[in-house]
Amino acid sequence: MEKAEPIIRVNDLHHTYLRNTPLEAVALHGVSMEIYPGEAVGIIGRTGSGKSTVVQHLNGLIRPREPGKVIVDGQDLSDPSLDLRKLRQKVGLVFQYPEDQLFERLVGDDIAFGPRQMGLSLEELRPRVKWAMEMVGLGFEEFKDRYTFSLSGGEMRKAAIAGVLALQPKVLILDESTSGLDPRSRKELLGRIRDLHEQERMTIIFVSPNMEDMAELVSRIYVLADGKTVMTGSTREIFARREELRRYGLGVPQVTEVMHELRSRGQPVDVGVLNVEQAVGEIWKILNS
Amino acid sequence: MEDFEFLRNITIGQYLPGNSIVHRLDPRAKITIMLLMVLPITFSLSYIGNVMLLLVCLGFVALSGISVRYILSGIKPALGLIIALALLQLLFYGDSFVPPNMVSVTLFRWGIIHITNGSVQLVVVSTLRFLDLLFLASLLTNTTTTTELAHGAEDMLAPFSRLCIPAHELSLVLTIALRFVPILAEQLETIMKAQASRGADLGKGGKLQFIRTTRQALVLLVPLFINSFRRAEDLILAMEARCYVGGRDRTRLVRLRLTRTDLVAMALVAAFAATTTLFPLPM
Repeated sequence: MEKAEPIIRVNDLHHTYLRNTPLEAVALHGVSMEIYPGEAVGIIGRTGSGKSTVVQHLNGLIRPREPGKVIVDGQDLSDPSLDLRKLRQKVGLVFQYPEDQLFERLVGDDIAFGPRQMGLSLEELRPRVKWAMEMVGLGFEEFKDRYTFSLSGGEMRKAAIAGVLALQPKVLILDESTSGLDPRSRKELLGRIRDLHEQERMTIIFVSPNMEDMAELVSRIYVLADGKTVMTGSTREIFARREELRRYGLGVPQVTEVMHELRSRGQPVDVGVLNVEQAVGEIWKILNS
Repeated sequence: MEDFEFLRNITIGQYLPGNSIVHRLDPRAKITIMLLMVLPITFSLSYIGNVMLLLVCLGFVALSGISVRYILSGIKPALGLIIALALLQLLFYGDSFVPPNMVSVTLFRWGIIHITNGSVQLVVVSTLRFLDLLFLASLLTNTTTTTELAHGAEDMLAPFSRLCIPAHELSLVLTIALRFVPILAEQLETIMKAQASRGADLGKGGKLQFIRTTRQALVLLVPLFINSFRRAEDLILAMEARCYVGGRDRTRLVRLRLTRTDLVAMALVAAFAATTTLFPLPM
């Protein structure tokens, strides 16, 4: 996988909000990352570290400025003649509280909005909407004619994500899109995202403050702090560096925390543990020795 | 629609923290000064008078330490309208306005278009007036927090409560309205970004395609309205939960006090406003 061309390449990205006004605020100064096709990558960082600003560059909502460069699928995003709609079909971005963007009366219509804007005919539209709804776990026949605003919170969230999926993007970015859900909906949604990644080979970029979710979903992590990339590595490597993460105001998943504690009390356990099963394995190892 | 930064264009109503003399003035003094200045600005018709008023407003801006460029950047969204109005005045108001102490002189006439020295003066004067008011309104909101403004307005309205004017409630409405402008702007920005992300073609309806443009606006308006209603409900709940009751028995954390600076500033502006209003300059 590493040998392929990266589908997204971000190089030395800088961004200042409200530039040239008394309220200007530096959001990014020096973010770089490379994301390969078919990967699931996480971005973590405290609030204000620039996570959202970075991902908004990836689908052209914010244009890169000199000297920063963003290349998506071979296209330079600073090119003024770039077709933004084509780009946004390729890179789907789901925001935090995506249910806030629903507007159509019927669920099916809302999900069809994106592909309809692409100019697809009705026959092409239907299977796409069906696929998107099924991917998020909303039965097509059952939900397509329901009133959008009669759905429950979790269903609205799913419908909103389906609205982005209906564009059939190559890359799906989720910017804290699991926050505010109850544990069961959250777990289900994570499972759906994993399916998209594993079965549909979709490239996933996952932004979340929840380290458990990270450990479960992604294989590689970029850590941002004060608008800079400060750590990168595989999920195991990153969570093995607990002290460093703490310095950036971040933590590790709870099972990993337990392993770190055991290690600090002299137990020879592997601290790069990401889930309960692995932890159980490690603990059995010390009990048996 | 390339740039989603709305706050860049909204300069009126945006508080800019600072510690200048204008920032430190009592909000009631600032409101009074603004109202006093509106008098000569409205009544003055002469070139010299208006230039003088503009200089005074610029003087206020200079005292506040806020850059003139920042305030002027707030006109940008309305620039088209202002130019259109000025043009209409210039072309068609030739007959209806004769400057005081002057004879109407026709400069250009063609069909219904009639430009006189009067219409030229009218355009110049109304442009300057607009600038004056922009400076004053921006300055008031740029240097005063919404809480201060609301307290100030409440205090100034308080004497009228005998006439059954609900001063406190009005000031509450004012505070909430002002407070929600940036919140809604931000919300709109997020919704625009989200809809653009799923392929909405914002602001590209074409010039005469009203139906398309309106449909595109719906994509933003429906979510924005739903959001505002929800926020309103949340706010009501939060206020009820804390047993919010407005009115006479309510005390405040900060008590406004007029200082000598406030009084002197108001006196100076009152004198200036009275002189320029009562003794209009020729020309």
